[in-house]
Amino acid sequence: MNTPTPHLSVRGLSAGYGRARVLFDIDLTIEPGTIACVMGRNGVGKTTLLNTITGLITPTTGTITHNGTDITHLAPHHRTRRGIAYAPQGHDTFAPLTVAENLHVTHQATRRGGPELIDAALARFPRLQPLLHRKAALLSGGQAQQLAIARALVTNPSLLVLDEPTEGIQPNIVAEIEAAITDTAAQGITILLVEQYLDVALRLADTVTVIDAGRIIHTGPRTELTHESAHALMAI
Amino acid sequence: MDALINQLPTGLAIGAVLLLAALGLNFTFGQMGVINMAHGELIMIGAYTAYVLHAWIGLNPAYSLLIALPVAFTITGTLGWLLELSVIRHFYGRPLDTLLLTFGIGMILQQGARDTFGAPNVDVPAPAWLTGGITLTGGIRIHYSRLFILALAIACVIAIAYHLNRSRHGRQMRAVIHNRDLAAISGINTRKVDATTFFIGSGLAGIAGVALTLIGPTGPTLGTNYIVDAFLVVVVGGLGQLRGTVLAAFTLGILNATVEAWADASLAKLIVFAAIIAFLQARPQGLFTVKTRALT
Ligand SMILES: Nc1ncnc2c1ncn2[C@@H]1O[C@H](COP(=O)(O)OP(=O)(O)OP(=O)(O)O)[C@@H](O)[C@H]1O
Ligand SMILES: [Mg+2]
Repeated sequence: MNTPTPHLSVRGLSAGYGRARVLFDIDLTIEPGTIACVMGRNGVGKTTLLNTITGLITPTTGTITHNGTDITHLAPHHRTRRGIAYAPQGHDTFAPLTVAENLHVTHQATRRGGPELIDAALARFPRLQPLLHRKAALLSGGQAQQLAIARALVTNPSLLVLDEPTEGIQPNIVAEIEAAITDTAAQGITILLVEQYLDVALRLADTVTVIDAGRIIHTGPRTELTHESAHALMAI
Repeated sequence: MDALINQLPTGLAIGAVLLLAALGLNFTFGQMGVINMAHGELIMIGAYTAYVLHAWIGLNPAYSLLIALPVAFTITGTLGWLLELSVIRHFYGRPLDTLLLTFGIGMILQQGARDTFGAPNVDVPAPAWLTGGITLTGGIRIHYSRLFILALAIACVIAIAYHLNRSRHGRQMRAVIHNRDLAAISGINTRKVDATTFFIGSGLAGIAGVALTLIGPTGPTLGTNYIVDAFLVVVVGGLGQLRGTVLAAFTLGILNATVEAWADASLAKLIVFAAIIAFLQARPQGLFTVKTRALT
């Protein structure tokens, strides 16, 4: 009776593209305020899992429950409006829009708070401040990744979904992004993170889930893993 | 050179109408990937709206034109909106089906116009304040009606530029055109943005139709004469590109008018087509594209 509802619960989820099956019978539970890290080699279905959770892909079987509500068939914009923010892989931004427009269009569309959300996101990523009127197309990879996360933060999320936020980014910016993730989690926001760099993942994660060929092959608290055992799991 | 100078005003006016037609197409094509073959018939309906206000409702020609503009915008905008809602929406991602379907709808609308207004062309008299013109040094004569069409197109471009950059829907439009999935996960109801875009794009077709009544007679097939050229403008100008569309529309308008001055109409079309094919060989992405670091 008094067991707390998990923030996100995925049950028996299968998904794919047309005839191609990618995910098989995925179960994943994320407790409120924790950082759940999903790992696995290239092409095992990590992005597909995040796309299904955020509504860009409709699963073939299974359910997704957010804060106790079944959202399996909810349109992606409604998921964002109920607090699921997503910064997709490849630091996707609205290239023809300026940095400021990227933040405003998202903030206005989700309607989850006042203009202080934009100020907070910019305070989180001060490097974006002088670039406000620059087109996102002209940002460097590191700047674009910061904008991608800031764009997710202005929706005032309860669940922040990040797909490889450190991919191809220089070490000092990686440190800033890591700090942003830690701070966000400290505010009580639940985080679902796909991360390929073992060091970063093990520093941030509360729980670690490893996927191989579309199936979960390991899931458990971070504390159960050593650097070596994690490395072994990834090398399967 | 003389031919060019003499044909310049006509070329600019035709370019302005093409621009109005192509702006709407560019939105629906660029945002939803829909080739709406019925867009030409929306132009035709815009022209008949001007006719109905004058000949049936009997509005004073002095201001009937000015009233026709917003009325045609609303009527064709609503028709386009209904078209998207009832038919086109169910065929997204199926361009060939959409093409055939909207072509069929265009045919039905043409027949509807024939049944309602008769097959022969009708004329909408220009208001008295648009008759006459000015003669420039060198003997080029510019009709006030041509100037009016030009001003109308410029006003529409300014309004659209303002809409795209300053309004909430405009920003959402640019976001959806760039990346529909990213827009959706940014909380944007992309379906709703599509519907509004269809309304505006179709409304612009109505304005183009009203403008056409100042250039020549109105008939059920009016739109078909412009739709191919309007698509060419979209392709040459680049998808989602306001600057490119403006430049391409006026270039095509002037090219059409000048080539026609020394060749017959079908040869002129052939020459223009050849020029466009040569251009697209060199720049398949159109005149302008979004700058990205990946490309530079
Ligand atoms: N749009 C698509 N259509 C068809 N197949 C796809 C599509 N996107 C991905 N796939 C396939 O689905 C599988 C899983 O892809 P996914 O992007 O989820 O992997 P990933 O684990 O995120 O990989 P990476 O580490 O490279 O980002 C791959 O085999 C991929 O080729
Ligand atoms: Mg991926």
